[in-house]
Amino acid sequence: MPPVWVFLVVFVFMAVKPAYAVDSDLLTIGLADDSVQITTGFNGSRLTIFGMKREIGDVAIVVRGPERRITVRRKGQSFGMWRNVDDIRFRNVPSYYDFAVSGVERDIAPAILRNEYGIGVDSLRFDALGRRSEGEVKTFREALIRNKQVSGHFAVEPERVVFLSDKFFRVDFDIPANVPTGLYKITTYLLQEGRVVGQRQTDLRIGQVGTSARIYRFAHNDSMIYGIAAVLMALLAGWLADLFFRKE
Amino acid sequence: MQIYLPIAEMTVPAESILLLGTFVGFLSGVFGVGGGFLTTPFLIFMGLPPGIAVGTQSNQLVAASLSGVLAHFKKGNVDFKLGGVMLAGSLLGSVIGVMVFRLLQHMGQIEFAIPLLYVFFLGSMGLMMFYESLSAVLKKRDNDGDESSRLMHHKFFKALPYKMRFPRSKLYVSVLVPVAIGFFGGLLVSIMGIGGGFLLVPAMIYILGMPTILVAGTSLFQIMVTTIFATIMHAMTNHTVDLVLAALLIFGGVIGAQFGVKVSRKIKGSYARFLLASMLLIVCVKLAGDLFITPIELYNTEVE
Repeated sequence: MPPVWVFLVVFVFMAVKPAYAVDSDLLTIGLADDSVQITTGFNGSRLTIFGMKREIGDVAIVVRGPERRITVRRKGQSFGMWRNVDDIRFRNVPSYYDFAVSGVERDIAPAILRNEYGIGVDSLRFDALGRRSEGEVKTFREALIRNKQVSGHFAVEPERVVFLSDKFFRVDFDIPANVPTGLYKITTYLLQEGRVVGQRQTDLRIGQVGTSARIYRFAHNDSMIYGIAAVLMALLAGWLADLFFRKE
Repeated sequence: MQIYLPIAEMTVPAESILLLGTFVGFLSGVFGVGGGFLTTPFLIFMGLPPGIAVGTQSNQLVAASLSGVLAHFKKGNVDFKLGGVMLAGSLLGSVIGVMVFRLLQHMGQIEFAIPLLYVFFLGSMGLMMFYESLSAVLKKRDNDGDESSRLMHHKFFKALPYKMRFPRSKLYVSVLVPVAIGFFGGLLVSIMGIGGGFLLVPAMIYILGMPTILVAGTSLFQIMVTTIFATIMHAMTNHTVDLVLAALLIFGGVIGAQFGVKVSRKIKGSYARFLLASMLLIVCVKLAGDLFITPIELYNTEVE
């Protein structure tokens, strides 16, 4: 028989749990497609997420691409010409970031919470490599976000979480044609009075399929044969063109 | 029509690439230049990484130059011996060029270095050719026969050792000259993604003193072998050859080149050089302007 304090600890833990712990059973999430397939004709796509929540509260959904190291460079003038003169490298930058909320961003969660869970572009934190002043890092970080937003890899505005009933909701994310490939993480949060009470994570594979994927694998796995094949294709094309036009 | 490039991992409009390929192929047929001096900046302008632009461009040059070589070969206008000697230099040049490219990329200066190199080469070659061809056109005669102003008669070139006879070109010159010309051509192939025709053609005319009729075919032959080598090297070291992009450029290119060859038969040498010089100078001025214009966004990012 276990000692009495074990029961006490368990009892206290159970009593506290509903208030602080995050419950994954409160949310159910389903993707309309379990992967985004990039084919030769790929020109962007739409990612639809369906969800169900078992308690009242707001919903926030965050889509993150695999993390990358990114160098941010600043141009300056030398001899009147513009070239890169300074750079800061950042670790753990999501290659893609999009999010959706069911209400106004700052109303559904306070800034501290948004920062903790990475809800919203402003909440993203990257680690700068090398010793740089706080101000410089801040400027370069903002430039990084701006660049990523221009290229369509970071959200500018949150998507809307649309409620189909009290419990059911759906979100449509637009995936641009230049989307980075890899394993994405989609995290859904259920928020009540500025607290996260439910959380659910799903994986999404975004990658090339079919011919496109075969070419990519060929180029990376058998690079020499790939190079020779590229040359042969070019030679064949040049020769065929000559053969075809010689008759004229 | 949008098409996804598997190696560049991005979508581009297929029509623009095809059109670009056709235009560039046409130029290669007319002037014996690869036309990469238009393709590489244009591809970078479309948002393709410089590495992919350069690597894939070398593959497209293989096709464009082969159809050009065949066309010139049938007319007997290729000096294989001289082209072969130039290759010794160009293969070495392209290996060193790949190293320089990687170094510049590591330093974050590739997007600055490429246009700057273009401005320098296009500017100097364009001006030289512009001046020469304009005076030839104005005098209403073709400059091919006039050899007095050519550099090959300079004492320096005559004093070089290892002389070799090139019967097809009716030349007796030091092998160091064609090897050095080839070396620079090879550097340009791997750094700038161009065949280097705009440098090779005038160098072969003015420094080597080759008959103009053999220059286009011989330089194309030399470019073809160099770009075959460079394509395999780019594919192996950097994975920067995009087959889909190359196929589009090639398809347009081979068609354009055949028409170009037909046109080249009808244009007098000095007029052709005048047109080429004008085109080089226009691209040069455009790229130079871009270097000085204050960019809208001072910051840019690169994924490692």
